[in-house]
Amino acid sequence: MKYEEAMKRLDEIVSGIEENKMDIDQIGESLKEARELIKFCKDKLYKTDEEIKKILETED
Amino acid sequence: MEAITLLELNGRVKSTLQFEMPDAYWVQAEISSISPSGQGHCYLELVQKDATGRNFLAKAKANIWRGTWLKLKPYFEAQTGETLKVGMKVLLQVTVTFHEVYGYSLVVQDIDPTYTMGDMARRRKEILEQLEKDGVIGLNRELEIPALPQRIAVISSATAAGWGDFRDQLANNIYGFRFYVKLFPAAMQGDDVERSVISALNAVALRRDDFDVVIIIRGGGAVSELSCFDSYNLAFNIANFPLPVITGIGHERDDTVADVVAHTKVKTPTAAAEFIINRVFDTASELENLTRRMSDAITEKMNAEKVRIERMSQKLPSLFAVLKTRQEQVLETLWIRSVNGVRNMLTAQAHKLEIVDKTLAAADPHVILKRGYSLTRLNGRAVKCVSDLKKGDRLTTVFADGSVESEII
Repeated sequence: MKYEEAMKRLDEIVSGIEENKMDIDQIGESLKEARELIKFCKDKLYKTDEEIKKILETED
Repeated sequence: MEAITLLELNGRVKSTLQFEMPDAYWVQAEISSISPSGQGHCYLELVQKDATGRNFLAKAKANIWRGTWLKLKPYFEAQTGETLKVGMKVLLQVTVTFHEVYGYSLVVQDIDPTYTMGDMARRRKEILEQLEKDGVIGLNRELEIPALPQRIAVISSATAAGWGDFRDQLANNIYGFRFYVKLFPAAMQGDDVERSVISALNAVALRRDDFDVVIIIRGGGAVSELSCFDSYNLAFNIANFPLPVITGIGHERDDTVADVVAHTKVKTPTAAAEFIINRVFDTASELENLTRRMSDAITEKMNAEKVRIERMSQKLPSLFAVLKTRQEQVLETLWIRSVNGVRNMLTAQAHKLEIVDKTLAAADPHVILKRGYSLTRLNGRAVKCVSDLKKGDRLTTVFADGSVESEII
């Protein structure tokens, strides 16, 4: 998943809760998903992605 | 016939020139060669070309003596940001000299940098017009810089201070964001800029999926020599590049053509790093914001639910009481209705019985006999018709108080 997709999904969830479109049972699920998305985004921002590092370090 | 020596001839040419053309002239020309000497002088060759640019219309040597060169060089470079070089159009103030051995040459007294700047600006404008005409000028600007531009292809000279500054600033950003930077080396000054930057761009393009943005940077030298970035081919490549291109080629003057066609132009490599960091900061802020909104929304929702449950549980007893009363009323009504029903039914039955009783009473033969009627029987059976009887029959006549026997005669 890409960072921007994750942010878009997160925005959907938050807006959904804010606009009262979700019942309590759904909120539990969404909260779980939102936490995962936030973690994904934070990792992208603050943690070194060894995969990317490796790709960029390979010489042409 | 009187002959003179070559020296005498050249001497006459020299004095004629000195006598006839003693003034200084402002001359427009193009530099076709330039070579600074070990003694601190500068030797130029000036030309004027025809409209095709292929043929020379005029040519002259020009010398800038050390004393003049020491003043003119820094002045010209400060004004234009360029060093004097081949192909440059210049406006020089010259005096005309003739030397018996070295021949005709010009001595440069002064230079007007605005002419050169005007010429460079005109060339830039022409290139920009051509790019506009070819429909490529805004192409790179139409691309979007991703929310998280972390994978950065840098085109710069490996030895440039600007490259080091850029890398350090990204690596040491105060927010702790992660960046992945790869250098694609290219010449950042001199005649090789156009070719080597284009070839670096091509190398990035081959791995375009590995990168989010391309940054072209160079450290600012004493002289910026930006005219190499006023190149149609380079600009065409930048404009058509599939990733957003950011330029930070270090200068104060008007934008180069490369800057104009780039997605974003900043002044220095440091500013380029800041631009990237700010972009990621915005993205991180957006994430923070979403996270906060998320927790606010959840808290609010939970509070609302709590209030709802509380309100319900408060309402329940009174609701129940109302319900109870209502049910009791229903039961009461039903009770009354059933009691009444039973009572009515009983009354009706009693009435019916009474009628039956009366009817029965009226039909009692004994009562009828009492009224004066009598019953005639023949052989135990009631006689209803005279025709049923014949002479000699023995009849029993029943009265209220007894019976008699008789015989028909």
